[in-house]
Amino acid sequence: MKVEELLSGYEHAYAWDEMLEKNTVRDHYRPVMQKLADMGFENIKQHHAQASELFMSQGITFTVYSDDAGIERIFPFDIIPRIITSAEWAHVEAGIKQRLKALNMFLKDIYHEQNIIKDRMIPAWLIASCPHFTREVYGIHVPYDLYVHISGIDLIRGEDGTFFILEDNLRTPSGVSYMLENREVTKRLFPGLINSNHVRMVNNYPLLLHANLLSLSPRNIRNPVVVILTPGIFNSAYYEHTFLARQMGIPLVEGRDLVVVNHKVFMKTTRGLEQVDVIYRRVDDEFLDPITFQPDSILGVAGLIGAYRKGNVAIVNALGNGVADDKAVYAYVPNMIRYYLNEEPILPNVPTYSMSDKMQQEHVFKNMEKMVIKRTNQSGGYGMLMGNKATEEEMESFRKKILENPREFIAQPIVKLSTVPCFLDGKITSRHVDLRPYALCGPGGIEIVPGGLTRVALKEGSLVVNSSQGGGSKDTWIID
Amino acid sequence: MLSRSADSLFWLNRYIERSEGLLRFLHTTYVLSLDKGPYVNNSWKILLDIFSTLSPEEKLALENNPDKVVEHILLALDNTNSLRMMLNRARENARGMQDHITKEVWEQVNFTYHKINSKSMPAQLKSNNEIPAIESLLKNCLLYTGIVDSTMPRGMSWDFMNLGKYIERCMLTVDLLEKQVVGHDLSEEKDILYWRGLLFSLSGYEFHLKNYRSNEANYNAIHQVVLNVLFPHSVMYCLDRVRKYLDNVVNQNDPSDPAGLTRQFGRICSAVEFADVEMIRQVGVPVYLSQLRYNLHQFAWSLSQTYFSYS
Repeated sequence: MKVEELLSGYEHAYAWDEMLEKNTVRDHYRPVMQKLADMGFENIKQHHAQASELFMSQGITFTVYSDDAGIERIFPFDIIPRIITSAEWAHVEAGIKQRLKALNMFLKDIYHEQNIIKDRMIPAWLIASCPHFTREVYGIHVPYDLYVHISGIDLIRGEDGTFFILEDNLRTPSGVSYMLENREVTKRLFPGLINSNHVRMVNNYPLLLHANLLSLSPRNIRNPVVVILTPGIFNSAYYEHTFLARQMGIPLVEGRDLVVVNHKVFMKTTRGLEQVDVIYRRVDDEFLDPITFQPDSILGVAGLIGAYRKGNVAIVNALGNGVADDKAVYAYVPNMIRYYLNEEPILPNVPTYSMSDKMQQEHVFKNMEKMVIKRTNQSGGYGMLMGNKATEEEMESFRKKILENPREFIAQPIVKLSTVPCFLDGKITSRHVDLRPYALCGPGGIEIVPGGLTRVALKEGSLVVNSSQGGGSKDTWIID
Repeated sequence: MLSRSADSLFWLNRYIERSEGLLRFLHTTYVLSLDKGPYVNNSWKILLDIFSTLSPEEKLALENNPDKVVEHILLALDNTNSLRMMLNRARENARGMQDHITKEVWEQVNFTYHKINSKSMPAQLKSNNEIPAIESLLKNCLLYTGIVDSTMPRGMSWDFMNLGKYIERCMLTVDLLEKQVVGHDLSEEKDILYWRGLLFSLSGYEFHLKNYRSNEANYNAIHQVVLNVLFPHSVMYCLDRVRKYLDNVVNQNDPSDPAGLTRQFGRICSAVEFADVEMIRQVGVPVYLSQLRYNLHQFAWSLSQTYFSYS
């Protein structure tokens, strides 16, 4: 079969298509599309089914919170890789490094001197009203002044192909296991293609992470004890926690496995108590310590923050990072880059309207059908409104909610995310995607694993890629 | 090792071992129920006694309906001892400590879990396909044992897994033998057909034919099931294994053994090691067995108090 035949019926309306340029396949997509054309639809279908089976049998599943009972599903996987050239990647990489450097400095500043507020670069009320500004960790020194050890910054491409930063995820970003497993599955499906396209490898991520975690140990000993703290098997990202524990060879613990004695953290083993030096926690701040935060939390460890304050245990990511990835603070990140680094931002933000500003609010209310409205403190695609899809009632209810509490909302013009080819319902069609590269900050600097997780909105025309809202994922190739 | 992980490893293997025992017993019962022999086949009742929590009346109603029993024993979610519940719990344990088992072991547990929970399972059990379905589930349990053996590193994880496996196996052997003899007069000589079901259920029928030539079927069967050191489902063999893995666990943790586990277990062993069939028959087989079971339960309880208490 010819590539043209394979792509007959492929449409990409009004968005940047990453494969097609004026109806010809871009050079970097050509070998893959040629291979798919050679395989034919029937064969692609078999590969697709095989991929789903692999995910199910390996238990690579996540839990969706819709009813009371969590349902286990596989994260839908599309077998056609998303391809990014090394030139595009170099730009993305530089932009993310710059942004993380600034965000780290911001976090140190905001929990110590607060110069950025004193210099009036960011309004004090915005920080003070941020639910994730954590007064309990004010003044705590963290090793190497590192706050954001692990981040998953979301990027999208606009209608002309420009990369924009959509969101900074600086607390407990998930999905990295899917990035790694997607590659493993692709290796089994298309071994020849990966080889001949010189795809950069991703699987050193757990090793880099482990090395970074070890370097944070407060005790200067040869074998510090590093653990992953999980909320337990009912958490939607539980598979990822076990995956990382296994890949790094470190224990996976739950809150009930830990105990704090004399401002030191211990885990309960068959041999008795054993001191813990570094905790990579996948539990949100407010559940970490029932003494300091939510008193009814059973996911955390009583006294943990005391041990953290004393410097007897390192916690990754640092507590209180939520103030930097708040969706209203997001609008000020370009300012932070200018303020702390004296540089112009390499990757632009999506224009963001503050709902606390009367004029901006009015503008948004007038153009609501062109806007996406998000809650500043929610993630996962919950609690947002897509103006072009919403009914009049939904818009009205959002207007009311915004007027009641403007600080909790922001608005952004709807960006038509770029499209890539997907194999759905037996044919190749275009779907919108975003990109989440995972960056690791350690004492030695920032490392970004080439690629990241590409999330796909599987519903036709949909711009929402979150897994909880019917999104899927793709393997992401950076090719030289 | 985390106490919680040790607990999960121990129970993962107990559940799978019990599942294997259930399937083998069910298979035997099903097949033998098709032969009308001299002994009234009461294994359906024994099966329900061991693997269901129904009231005596409910059991009576089910007993003569093999299809219903099979479904109840394999799939019922309201029966905490059904195969499905046990495999669900096995998988829950495996999921909770995936960092201690190999990927291969996890995938096998996960596969079996999806198999028993698949939508097509009830249909498979209804369309005259019960025996192949039971056999294929049994194969998967055996496969698990093989995968564990060939991929798990020999360390504390392995020791806790085996403790679970052999304690469970021992208890199951005791249960099956006790149910077989209770209410029967053993001074009256039975023939091999009487014991055949039990021996098949423990995978020991061929072993029996090869090793026991004399006509004293009662003596022989009790000897094989309780005392024969070469028979992998005998009480004696299981206790011997438990002793080995208990020693490993004690030595790797606190060798001074403050809880006295080795001593407690030694007492159980001596009651078997220094026994013979005559003595057991004098005490009364059911009495002897129930004493043994009680002691094993006590021991398992002490073990969990020593190593698994974490909450």
